[in-house]
Amino acid sequence: MKITVTGASGLLGSSVARALVASGHGVTTLQRRPSGVDGARDVIGTVTDPTAVAEAINGAEAIVHLAAKVSLTGDPREFAAVNVGGTRTLVNGAQAAGVPRLVHISSPSVAHTGESIVGSGAGLASPGLARGEYARTKAAGELIALSADSENLRVLALRPHLMWGPGDVQLTERIVERARAGRMPVLGAGTALVDTLFVDNAVEAIVAALDAVDTTHGESLVVTNGQPRPIGELMARIAIAGGAPEPKLRIPVRAALTAGSVVEKVWDLGEHDDEPPLTRFLAEQLSTAHWFDQRRTQEVLDWRPRVSIEEGLELLVAHYSAN
Amino acid sequence: MRFPARPATIPPTLPEWDPAWSRTVDAETADGTHSFHVLDTLEALRATGREPTGTIVALHGNPTWSYLWRHLAQATVDAAGRAGQRVWRVIAPDQLDMGFSERLEHESLPKPHGPEVRRISQRIDDFDAVVRTLLAEVDGNAPDTAGSSAPTAEADGSDHPIVTIGHDWGGVLSLGWAARNTALVSASISLNTAVHQPDDAPLPAPLRATLAGPMLPTATVLTDWFLRVTLGLGDLDPEIRDAFRAPYDAPGRRYGIGGFVADIPVDEKHPSYPELQRIGEDIAALSHPALLVWGPKDPVFLERYLRDLRGRLPQADIHRFEKGSHLVSEDFDVAGVVLDWLAARFPAEVDAGSTADARSTPAASPIAAPSTEANASIPSAVTNSSAAARPITAILDARRDDDSVASVDFSRSPAQQITWRRLWHVTTSIAHGLTELGVRPGDRVSMLVPPGNNLTAALYACLKIGAVAVVADAGLGPQGMTRATTSADPQWIIGELPGLGLARAFNWPGRRISVTPLGPVQRRLFKVETSLTDLARTDHRGALPTPAADADAAVLFTSGSTGPAKGVRYTHADISALAQVLTRVFNVAEGTGLVAGFPPFALLGPAIGATSVTPDMSVTKPKTLTASAIADAVIAGQATMVFASPAAYRNVAATASSLSPEQKAACARVELVLSAGAPVPLELMDSIAEVFPAASIHSPYGMTEGLLLADIDREGVARATGSTTTVAGEARPNLGVCVGRPIDGVELALAPIDDAGTPSETLLRGPQAHGRLGELVVSAAHIKAGYDRLWRTTALSARDDLDGRDWHRTNDVGRIDSTGRVWLEGRLQHVVTTPRGPVGPGALEALIDQDPQVSRSAVVGTGPTGTQALVAVLDAEGTELKAGLAPLDLTARLRAQVAAIDGHDLSAVLVAPNFPTDIRHNSKIDRSRLADWADHVLTGGSVRRRV
Repeated sequence: MKITVTGASGLLGSSVARALVASGHGVTTLQRRPSGVDGARDVIGTVTDPTAVAEAINGAEAIVHLAAKVSLTGDPREFAAVNVGGTRTLVNGAQAAGVPRLVHISSPSVAHTGESIVGSGAGLASPGLARGEYARTKAAGELIALSADSENLRVLALRPHLMWGPGDVQLTERIVERARAGRMPVLGAGTALVDTLFVDNAVEAIVAALDAVDTTHGESLVVTNGQPRPIGELMARIAIAGGAPEPKLRIPVRAALTAGSVVEKVWDLGEHDDEPPLTRFLAEQLSTAHWFDQRRTQEVLDWRPRVSIEEGLELLVAHYSAN
Repeated sequence: MRFPARPATIPPTLPEWDPAWSRTVDAETADGTHSFHVLDTLEALRATGREPTGTIVALHGNPTWSYLWRHLAQATVDAAGRAGQRVWRVIAPDQLDMGFSERLEHESLPKPHGPEVRRISQRIDDFDAVVRTLLAEVDGNAPDTAGSSAPTAEADGSDHPIVTIGHDWGGVLSLGWAARNTALVSASISLNTAVHQPDDAPLPAPLRATLAGPMLPTATVLTDWFLRVTLGLGDLDPEIRDAFRAPYDAPGRRYGIGGFVADIPVDEKHPSYPELQRIGEDIAALSHPALLVWGPKDPVFLERYLRDLRGRLPQADIHRFEKGSHLVSEDFDVAGVVLDWLAARFPAEVDAGSTADARSTPAASPIAAPSTEANASIPSAVTNSSAAARPITAILDARRDDDSVASVDFSRSPAQQITWRRLWHVTTSIAHGLTELGVRPGDRVSMLVPPGNNLTAALYACLKIGAVAVVADAGLGPQGMTRATTSADPQWIIGELPGLGLARAFNWPGRRISVTPLGPVQRRLFKVETSLTDLARTDHRGALPTPAADADAAVLFTSGSTGPAKGVRYTHADISALAQVLTRVFNVAEGTGLVAGFPPFALLGPAIGATSVTPDMSVTKPKTLTASAIADAVIAGQATMVFASPAAYRNVAATASSLSPEQKAACARVELVLSAGAPVPLELMDSIAEVFPAASIHSPYGMTEGLLLADIDREGVARATGSTTTVAGEARPNLGVCVGRPIDGVELALAPIDDAGTPSETLLRGPQAHGRLGELVVSAAHIKAGYDRLWRTTALSARDDLDGRDWHRTNDVGRIDSTGRVWLEGRLQHVVTTPRGPVGPGALEALIDQDPQVSRSAVVGTGPTGTQALVAVLDAEGTELKAGLAPLDLTARLRAQVAAIDGHDLSAVLVAPNFPTDIRHNSKIDRSRLADWADHVLTGGSVRRRV
């Protein structure tokens, strides 16, 4: 099958592209810089550019749409341009080119309104209620992708939740770095139960979705390891796996929520290249439960997470001790 | 004030109300045509292509309307599609001047003797008129001539049963209508209602206040006081309360509320008094099946009205919702009880060829009609009792001239010893005395007497004459005992002073008998009529009644750890079978001496012919039993057997060093030690073995509903430790509490538990059952006859009919290993339903408790059914652990062990600051509260919150 992967310069995108190449598919990638995936045809450009999109999906039988602006803060216009506009451009292009399949990668945060999520299904994406620019624009993007679902363009939205593992810079690397610096806080007792997803499982779930989309489409599926863990425990284990000490810095939840709001505002005033140390969104994420019912996901994708959290942590130990 | 006439109307849009149910009907009543608003599900049924095969006619009371029957309407419409269910049509008219039915013209406010009040006789006629008009719409239930005692609809071949149901005054009116239309009506159901007897007792206080002269119109019509107070008796959501109020939103629409109250026959001079008396007599003549569903917390329709109805309808099945009040059908699943009962009484027609299929389909009602509990003369449909059931008192009677020792009572100082001859004489005298006092077969006698000779005498006297012993133990606490005693509703109480004091303080029912004679002041204070001592002097005149084998003998109460304590009924045959089990399985035979430190078994000595010795201990405090008290009891009874609870043995082991050489020698002669009430860990068995070196040590498994079901001895416990069962080629360690194998006479089956935590309707036995998690289901001659006045609970617990036997669903879950041993894993409602399958908490707790850092644990689930996360909660007390997340290494260790068992994923290991346990058995962990705490903590709540 000829498959186009957008956003293949990131960990997940490049891993998916690599896996597809390894399975003998013809893979084209679309991103701003070379994907580094051997055997893939790179189209350099952005999803906001209709010409680049048209070139990348020409002749494709399936698209995996991973390209997104992922960040906790930043210019709202930039989020909207990539996550909303880019998705619209891609969907329009796919319809014009007659691409029959789209696996749209979304985020559980599109349906997270700040309340605890306790074993629920995916829920509807809600641009109005989601927290933060990233989640709001991803929600709008998912709605665009799903509204394009038809027998001619079969769309399945996957929402991988808190992905981690060797090579992940978004979550894993930050936890390890901050824990090494003694700056990794644990909010409250760290007991809120959260779902996460080991990177290899995320890759396999996306690959499985390319088959599943033929029979089931037009819906969203949260993808996790199906092993909820207390947030404090999981962060401690990732930190330890990365060679850092167990985080001991405890912040009361209420204080963290307030501090998050303040930091966000102060951060926006200055010029920063990196992420603020704490945002209200992050504080909420770290202090409320969010774990999901995986029965529908596993049934539709006919997929099971192959690497358990415990095995994933061992792989992480191996990764950090090798580097 | 004038009240203008106004025809019936259709209600506005209301919650939980299908507009398709609403219709107005003109009916020809005694005083002309009137229009009624009626809840009628006929159109809703026909809309789904179904024609009724049965009809429920329902009548509301005051101040409600047919909205009261919406749950029943919905439930019957929903059930109509199910296999094995009849299609029940519900017809529920609003009474005139009530609900959305016609408002009659009235010139003035209602008065009890006023001419404008619609009387109950008219209301029955109204009901008759509207119901007959509607019944005529469906083929097969065309009304025939009223009043004749022709066979019921079912018997004359038309097979379209008509069943009445009513609530409040609608209960009595519908029963009265049913009694006058026996040719038409097949069965009757009533919720809280009353046939008030003015000469019996005054009206309940709330009604008296309302009826007091000038108050009446103000309370009922001019203001909404009566409406508000009545609706306040249910736990109603505001929008539901508003729906009930909808037809009564202005004084001009509330005449009926006042009129209804004005028509309550408060005394003999009231215009409706003679009619109510006639209705009461007619009801008493009803012989068709009846069901009474009761909320005992009703401040108006009190227990005494249920008692009165039980007397009028002795055939009635009863289901009490212990926490239900007046609007019992608002707060509890009354519709479910009604549907189950109807399915049992009026099963849908099934082709003869497909009977077996229909039975094995879960969608078909799994409930078979349990034998009626109210009329002991009706034998149960299927009985497991051995054909030659020996009367419980047979051996006692046979030993009437025996001068050997029957019973020694160390609860007295000095110990009291009585011979068989004396025991026979005393019990027979008391039996005669009780009979002369007025105790009749089937009368219930609450026993507030601690174990010992007095209790033995009182109990066997009752058994001789078929009086039913009610035993609510002090472990329930005063509130629990009061609830239990009130629900059992004994006619008599035999008690010692503390018990009689409780009975007085909490106003228990029943005429009082003390144990020893009381002084005149105390007699008056406790309303005591006589004493056992006095009764024991009665001459043996005339013959005593002989109880039937299937007549009730006793009502015992469950511990109430999962809701209000339930009464459990045992027949004479059941108790006789239990005595025989002790003989057959444990060799307790005539002439054996046994030390009885565990109440239920303590009472069986005279039935077996064994010499029983009550040791010096407080029954409610088993820890007061010392080694030397046991040894003295062994010596006095030349006993070779000792029965006690694990808590008692713990103390016996702890005090063993004080035994004299003579006492030690006596203990060394003991052959059997039985520990009942809770599982016994091996190390306690080992300590017991040091006190009784020659004894075999057994720990039987049972419950109030089946006192002896399985058994394991010390060697068995040792062998079970570390054993495995191979399932699908993989060896899995046996986990949980091993209670051994079913004893001789007990059949064991397993109802496998599905992913939603629901036990299967299909029972497995033999190798098929091995290694699977399921609810344990047992059958034996000595299991319960049923729950007391809990029709549905009984029906559900006894719904299986494998091999035509009576089975009991134990609510215990566990596994049967490949050698047939039973491993308990907890209670059904505590099963955790993970996406990887159901988990019995006890198995994992047994595993986790082995960890040196853990004192005790509770495994609970958090999240929705079927996708719960598995959580271990550890007790901080007695450990180094601090409340919150358990240390990483401990968590990792426990998680790995759990994963190795069944591949289950332990999401979190939490340490709770304290562990709540129930009062009666200090060892039973309150998992529900721990689960609530875990839910709170795992959604980010504080770990310092008290559990």
